[in-house]
Amino acid sequence: MGKFALLLPHAPDRYTGLSESDYMDIIKDYVAWTEELTAKGIYEAGHKLTDDLGRKLVRGASAIEVLHTSAAELAEVLGGLMIIRARDYDEAVDIAKTCPHLVHNQTIEVRQIAEVGGD
Amino acid sequence: MTCSDLIKRDLDRIVRRERGRLIADLVRRLGNQHFALAEDVAQDALVSAMSIWPYEGLPDNPAAWLAKVARNKAIDRLRRLNKEVSTSSETAGSKRTDSVLFESQVEDPELRLVLLCCHPALTELEQLTLTLKLACGFTTREIADVFLATEEAIGQRIARAKRRLRALGKELEQLPLRFGIESRRPSTLKVVYLMFSVGYAPLSGDRSVRFDVALEALRLAEELAANKIMGTAESQALAALMCFQASRLEARESADGHIVLLGKQDRSLWNRELIDRGFGYLVAAKATAKLSPYHLEAGIAATHAAATDAEICDWDSIVNQYEQLEAMVNSPIVANNSAVAIAMAGNPAAALRKLDALGNDKHMQTYAPYHIARAEVLRLLGRKEEAADSYQDAMRCRVSTPVIRHLEARFVSCL
Repeated sequence: MGKFALLLPHAPDRYTGLSESDYMDIIKDYVAWTEELTAKGIYEAGHKLTDDLGRKLVRGASAIEVLHTSAAELAEVLGGLMIIRARDYDEAVDIAKTCPHLVHNQTIEVRQIAEVGGD
Repeated sequence: MTCSDLIKRDLDRIVRRERGRLIADLVRRLGNQHFALAEDVAQDALVSAMSIWPYEGLPDNPAAWLAKVARNKAIDRLRRLNKEVSTSSETAGSKRTDSVLFESQVEDPELRLVLLCCHPALTELEQLTLTLKLACGFTTREIADVFLATEEAIGQRIARAKRRLRALGKELEQLPLRFGIESRRPSTLKVVYLMFSVGYAPLSGDRSVRFDVALEALRLAEELAANKIMGTAESQALAALMCFQASRLEARESADGHIVLLGKQDRSLWNRELIDRGFGYLVAAKATAKLSPYHLEAGIAATHAAATDAEICDWDSIVNQYEQLEAMVNSPIVANNSAVAIAMAGNPAAALRKLDALGNDKHMQTYAPYHIARAEVLRLLGRKEEAADSYQDAMRCRVSTPVIRHLEARFVSCL
């Protein structure tokens, strides 16, 4: 059994201007999915990242530059990440395919988490 | 329902309940005038709190978690808005001298919010809609669903009601004092009664939302009954009525969306605990010299609830109670139900005479239960062709798909 991270990006303006009901409907889909995986022992953990775009640190010639990312320069922002258990990439991908993120957004990145003795 | 549907339904309920509580709490802290701000802040806090759950999973006690996070977030946001907020609800009321009298009477923030929503400056329909939205936390879409209206129309009704309340400005803080509360009790009970009817009517689309509307009305009725100012004998009677009616919620619609009439209901599906609670309220309701219509309706519902079988129901007692109710309220709908009871008590000919007299009322021509009652009475009298016509009249009224299916089956059985 390995652990896999699902990275969930969305368009910067994906959730702006949505009605309450529409936003809640989306959230409910995700919660129901997470709860189902949790009940099956597949869901490990997850974190939602805040909706601001964060900071980017860049090593300059003399100092480290801290940049405020602007929405205009991004096609996608990382909304959060989820960690699931799966045998291998094939299984992790099959699970990820059922994630409502692919109903409400475009892409999911699946990455295996390195573990000592894991393969 | 699938597991995922159940989770979604639970979430809806938790969010609604917490939204209502938060708005009530914030209105109490900020004052009635700021109800719209309270609503915005509550919603904002709930949405941002909820957005974490997909990732972190549901907490062990979602309601407590949500209330805590949302309250903190609401306070943060209010600080940013430079509103003076007291952090404990105990100190909130004492700052305003004009609310001292009020405090001594209705302390519960949620009931106070219901009273605000039932403000006399609003029409009955606006009171009901605003109560559903602010005090019970239903979304505009859900409210539109139970009223069979568009989301836009309900949104406009809510906006209109809010504008009217806002126009009252400071006046909104002064009411209700002692007499304000007294005078607002009947309309508040009426709104709760209407709310239950909307939820109980097998009229519109989403069954689970409808049931939740009815259960919310039951909750409010029980809170009114438990309140020392609002809990008059009339309130006890209303709570009793709703317990009896709610006890049959599950039994009156089959899983595949068919209506199951009282006589055909599986009585083992009736919720005994609610029936017991109903009888408890009925006892408390007796502490008055003057019976209200709610007393009689509760009495009728209690007679049904006490019968273990439709055949052995005490129809004579029901007919008698309907007579008293008709003397109190001039309502063709009550007269219609009364006629059904007369037929069930073994006198379909008298029932038909009563119904035919009602037929002159133009509202009854578009009221499906009237035609259904007439059809059933005609059936009892063996006049099947006329019964079939009445079923068709009923189908021409505004009725839901399950009712149409029921009527079609009845119609066919008359041919």
